[in-house]
Amino acid sequence: MAKIFVLVEHRQGRLRDITFEMLTKANELTEKTDAETTAVLLGNNIVEHAKTLTEYAKTVLLVQDPKLENFNSEAYRKILAKLITEHKPSLVMMGHTSYGIELAPRLATALGTPLATDCLDLTFEADGLAVTRQMYGGKVNVKAMLRKAETYMTTVRQATFTAEKPATPPNGQIAEVPSLLTEEIAEKRFLQYVLPPSGGVDITAAEKLIGIGRGIKDQTNMSMIEELAKTLGAVLACSRPIVDKGWLPSDRQVGSSGKTVKPKLYLALGISGAFQHVLGMKSSDLIIAVNKDPKAPIFSFADYGIVEDLFKIVPALKGKIYELKGQKA
Amino acid sequence: MHFELTEEQKEIKKAIREFCEKEFTPQIALELDQKEEFPTELYRKAGKLGFTGMKFPQEYSGQGYGVLEDCIVVEEMCRVDPGLGTAISSGTFMVADILLKHGTEEQKQKYIPPLAKGEAVSSGAVTEPEHGSDITRMDTTAAKSGNELVINGSKEFITNSPIADYFMILCQTDPNAAPSHRGQSLLIVEKGASGLEVTKLHGKMGIKPCITGSVSLSEVKVPENNLVGELNKGFYYVLEFFDKSRIAVAAQAVGMAQGAFEKALQYSKNRKQFGSPIIQFQGVSFKIADMAIKIEAARMLTYKAAWLYDQGKVNPVSTSMAKAYASRVAVEVTDDAIQIFGGYGYLADYHVERFHRCAKITEIYEGTSEIQKLTISNYLAKQP
Amino acid sequence: MDVVVCVKHVPETAEAELRIDKTGKAIEKTSLVFDINEWDDYALEEAVRIREKQGGTVTVITVGAQDSESTLRKCLARGADTAIRLTDPKFENSDAYAIAKILHSAIKNLHYDLILLGAQAGDDGSAMVGPILAEMLNIPHATMTKKIELNTGTAKVNRELEGGLEEQLEIKLPALFAVQTGINEPRYVSIMGIRKAMQKEIKVMGLADTGLTEADVGPAGSWTTIEKLYVPPVEKQAEFLKGTPEEIATKIADIVKSRGLI
Repeated sequence: MAKIFVLVEHRQGRLRDITFEMLTKANELTEKTDAETTAVLLGNNIVEHAKTLTEYAKTVLLVQDPKLENFNSEAYRKILAKLITEHKPSLVMMGHTSYGIELAPRLATALGTPLATDCLDLTFEADGLAVTRQMYGGKVNVKAMLRKAETYMTTVRQATFTAEKPATPPNGQIAEVPSLLTEEIAEKRFLQYVLPPSGGVDITAAEKLIGIGRGIKDQTNMSMIEELAKTLGAVLACSRPIVDKGWLPSDRQVGSSGKTVKPKLYLALGISGAFQHVLGMKSSDLIIAVNKDPKAPIFSFADYGIVEDLFKIVPALKGKIYELKGQKA
Repeated sequence: MHFELTEEQKEIKKAIREFCEKEFTPQIALELDQKEEFPTELYRKAGKLGFTGMKFPQEYSGQGYGVLEDCIVVEEMCRVDPGLGTAISSGTFMVADILLKHGTEEQKQKYIPPLAKGEAVSSGAVTEPEHGSDITRMDTTAAKSGNELVINGSKEFITNSPIADYFMILCQTDPNAAPSHRGQSLLIVEKGASGLEVTKLHGKMGIKPCITGSVSLSEVKVPENNLVGELNKGFYYVLEFFDKSRIAVAAQAVGMAQGAFEKALQYSKNRKQFGSPIIQFQGVSFKIADMAIKIEAARMLTYKAAWLYDQGKVNPVSTSMAKAYASRVAVEVTDDAIQIFGGYGYLADYHVERFHRCAKITEIYEGTSEIQKLTISNYLAKQP
Repeated sequence: MDVVVCVKHVPETAEAELRIDKTGKAIEKTSLVFDINEWDDYALEEAVRIREKQGGTVTVITVGAQDSESTLRKCLARGADTAIRLTDPKFENSDAYAIAKILHSAIKNLHYDLILLGAQAGDDGSAMVGPILAEMLNIPHATMTKKIELNTGTAKVNRELEGGLEEQLEIKLPALFAVQTGINEPRYVSIMGIRKAMQKEIKVMGLADTGLTEADVGPAGSWTTIEKLYVPPVEKQAEFLKGTPEEIATKIADIVKSRGLI
């Protein structure tokens, strides 16, 4: 029977959300095509994970090896190449995450398997696999076809599919496969996890956040925003470019490579709304966005939008909030 | 005929554009415009990257390009911001250019490299309270006293004077010369010289980051070897310099017009009235077209004047045409830009009124438009 | 240390309005400004810094038409020593896989200790050229690189993971690193740099020079083919607040207050 492989992503003892998102999508695809979802789980001492996955996948291929304690794309590549060659799945899914990005293109090349990355949707069509992805920073959607092949490989964007347990439990079986690794991967060794130095502020705990992005233009404008934050009693957070420029420490970054936040208010100033950022803030209770570009993607996620120069809004808003606070007192 | 920039010139344009667009933020521009402050930090940065030393030879730490390449840089700077652009492009005003032609090797080695690298600022002091367009007689005098020259007098509207490291002062060295301009000389005075006093001028209409001052010289003593070139030739050196500097003013004007034009064009596409973007109304669209035509014509005149200069075919008529026309275009186009913005254009926050305020100076400094027309008409009158 | 940097000449689209062209398979590019891909910009800077510290050479390489020379010139002006442009009408419409093959055909003949490139490109965002190239060259790699520390024969690199976490790896050289933005602060192009760059020749290579066949490149040699482009459907739209800045500020303040947040 045809199989869809889902590479299970886990780190520091936890299964990552993307795993369940992919399994849900895989189950949707297998229902239509009489195929079977196979979760492929590589690691060390991870039987508990395997058990959890049996609630989502018909089969859990489990490879355990002390040399798989931490993710290593080379170790994964060797094992997966063998599993894929043996099982010939019609599709291999990985997360478009640090791990998937590191592993998928190299594995696909080694196997000669067509690959599409950062997919938002996947459909089997008569001619093969069709994928939806984006170009130009999310401004354009693309429908693309993969070259016809026995096996396709994709990496899928995080938080695109909603994870759901199957209505009928698959009662999956765990099939443990011996590791073929004979020695440590010498050319690429995991050393340690590193948490960038903390700025001492936990943005995930803040009730009100002001998120700033590229639209701030210059570091000298930070003081204006800081004043607004102070008046409002909000904490400053930001999108990637602000951290890249060194204007805020990296623990203020919201998004896929930063923190996920869920404040009562997220005021987005000069943030265009690239999906990487949106991923980290879209569940906020109230989102108000100020951006000069009426077509900025952020307006698809905000409750309220203001198409205006943020440098005109910020001082005015600071004044209003000051007034309101005065009335209260 | 060749009407395209070379690959190298295009690269220069791209480099200066990227620098200005990232560094000349509207907030800095507005702040320095309000505070009337010179952008020292930006000037240094631009200098390190070679943008302030375009037209000076490499042996004096310049970049070894011509006036045309310098114009490209000046134009881009003023396109992004007219205040910062004029300020930075005028940082090396007069001193390095004249020394290059007439200075001693020692003077060149001492003064040009710091200017070309953006490490020093210079000031050329010609205008006097009583002598604006007419510089044929100077009230500032320099008299010989032993191995020194003693300068007395005052200068007005002197660009960069409050921050300059080096001054070049046009003095009457022979009060009895007839005609009087044959008795003028240029002298170098350094910052801090005893008897040199500078007062910053406030309340200019535009180009406020390009700061201006009044210079007073009271018994300022300089060594004899601070004389530039020959004694009593200063007037001619200054006129010769104007043939070069006026091209740069034309480039400033083209840049200002271009910058305001781009803002207006963008605005006219986004601003909707009566249900359509205002560029779809002929009253606006024809204005936009006219602006584009004028800018292009002004640019061509400017580039031609620069090209002639670089070819060694210095042509005062061509230079004056470029300066007179480009500065007129700058005033008109920046005015039209405000009109397209309507009420918003009248507000500082929309960054177009500043272009208009700045543009006016290009019709005034380095010889008023009337002086340019005098040059042109004098030439034409002499033609058979 | 000899470093090869792969760069891409891409349209700047962050602040531009995009239109899909008549074919429906590409965007209209005439009014767009092209420049070096933002991620590659950091890769080049990293390479130049390594060269400045340790000596060696920096070679930039791109696959692209004549206009992409301006990106190579920019790299030369910023400190690269030599530049190679791979171009052929047959290369058109190559996907990331085919591009990687073309790059490989030239890089395999160069001497290198390190290959750097951006973690992704701002146009197709596929993030795969690096690892594919590493596989073809049979050298280890790391993507999403935030920090590179070179030692003898090895490099310590930090990779960006999710949630603000990084992992540190030790990788044997020669290796390929796909760098993430923010790894350094790219310098401006200087006039001195331009002058130097103009004196350098850009080596141009076509299909015949690569040893590849027509079947390896273009759509035939690609994994994916674009069927169509379309504007992303809007699922939800914010309620827009309008008026003067003062009026808007009042509206925002009232909304925030009504939620008990002031």
